[in-house]
Amino acid sequence: MPEKINDKTIFSLLEVTNSIKKTLEERYKSAFWIKAEMNKLNHYSQSGHCFPELIEKRDGKIIAQIKSTIWRDDYQNINRNFLRILKEPLKDGIKILFLAKITFDPAFGLSLQIVDIDPQYTLGDLENEKRETIKKLKLEDIYEKNKKLELSFLPQRIAIISVETSKGFGDFLDVIDKNSWNYKFFYLLFPSILQGDRAVSGIMAQLERIRKVIHHFDAVAIIRGGGGDVGLSCYNNYELAKAITLFPLPVITGIGHVTNETVCEMIAHTNAITPTKLAEFLIQKFHNFSVPIQKAKEKIADKSRRLLNEENTKLESELKLFRSMTVNILNTNENQIKNASYAIQQQSQFIVKNNHEKLNVVKAKTRIATKFNLNQLKVTVIQLQEKLEFQPILYLKNSELALENIEKNIQIMDPINVLKRGFSITYSNGKAVKDAAQLEVGSAINTVLFKGTIDSTITKIKE
Amino acid sequence: MEEELNYTNAFEELQGIVNEIEQGEISVDELSEKVKRATALIKFCKLKLTTTEEDVNAILKELEN
Repeated sequence: MPEKINDKTIFSLLEVTNSIKKTLEERYKSAFWIKAEMNKLNHYSQSGHCFPELIEKRDGKIIAQIKSTIWRDDYQNINRNFLRILKEPLKDGIKILFLAKITFDPAFGLSLQIVDIDPQYTLGDLENEKRETIKKLKLEDIYEKNKKLELSFLPQRIAIISVETSKGFGDFLDVIDKNSWNYKFFYLLFPSILQGDRAVSGIMAQLERIRKVIHHFDAVAIIRGGGGDVGLSCYNNYELAKAITLFPLPVITGIGHVTNETVCEMIAHTNAITPTKLAEFLIQKFHNFSVPIQKAKEKIADKSRRLLNEENTKLESELKLFRSMTVNILNTNENQIKNASYAIQQQSQFIVKNNHEKLNVVKAKTRIATKFNLNQLKVTVIQLQEKLEFQPILYLKNSELALENIEKNIQIMDPINVLKRGFSITYSNGKAVKDAAQLEVGSAINTVLFKGTIDSTITKIKE
Repeated sequence: MEEELNYTNAFEELQGIVNEIEQGEISVDELSEKVKRATALIKFCKLKLTTTEEDVNAILKELEN
């Protein structure tokens, strides 16, 4: 009861708050549906109760604000519904349509006690956000921007945005690190929360860090998984989607869930349903590089072998041709030689025979001619014989005549015959004198006449 | 004249050689040279597949700056 002091009625705080409580309870007897933005959920895991901050904004300004409570049992029901329908837990920053009672507690003041939240309303709101994000990105003509980037031929260096302890990250590394082809990847983890509202700022912050060392990487992989299919509406966030699509490196995603694709997955360069699939996608890229190399190796070996074989075959056939041609030529020549030799044989036989015959003819002729000649010679010999018999007689006769002539001449030459005709010969010392100079006055000389000799002495010599 | 070999141009050059060989544009005279080059390229590409030169520490240092 209020006290009265100096004409003043004084209430205790409890009396006032109890009064307010009473008034409010009388005024707001039933629960009613309210729409508002749940700025903060403020879930206390220990008690299981929530104390959401509810606001209403106009033009970005808060124009209404009130505290609220969701008791543990209500929260569990509501959250179950949300997870079933939205695949999202009850969380900060969503628009909700809720059934609430206005309550007032003397100790904690005015609040709304939320007893139910319509997940369909929030779903519509989230869908709306997704649609809006897509619309905005398309309007700005950046929806396809990341997709248009060319993923490195061999996406070997990956900046990974993930949670180190998450199953998704583990799955991804399992495939990447333990690939049986020995493909070597380089990756660096840029840790970030990957679901719920804090994922937006977390991922964006890591993208900014990656930007600093961008030249070390071929792609950014956002890898999540193992955390259930909840808390993914952050990937419909416009700011995050924009940061991803505008990122200068291809962003590949393996967020791992089964509901509708989020905007970030839609605008990512490549989206794989799970981290494992994303890793397989990268391995496949290596295959795309490696298999043709392997094929190239085989093709080159095969073709080279074939080329060499072809050349060999060509060479061999040339050789065969050459051989057969030479054999032909040899054969032809051999035949020609044989023919020629046969011809020579024939010809020579013919010639020999011919000459033989000719010789026979000549022989016969010679024999006849010889016989004839012999006869002639015989006749000649006879004639000569006759001549020989006659000739010596004639010769003797002629010789007799010549001898007679010579005898006559000799007789004429005898000095006697000269002396007869009056000539004389003068001798000096027994020699006939032919020159007066040989004589001396007073010497004796004798003169021989035809008949008799005169001795004289020289008185005078005339020369 | 030769630009630095990276896996893209190595791969392209290799494909070029394969094409040439497939089209029968390579004579026996060139064959040995081409096969040698292709072998080097294959080796290089395979090495690329199985190694990386990135250094985590270097990146972390850059990140701090």
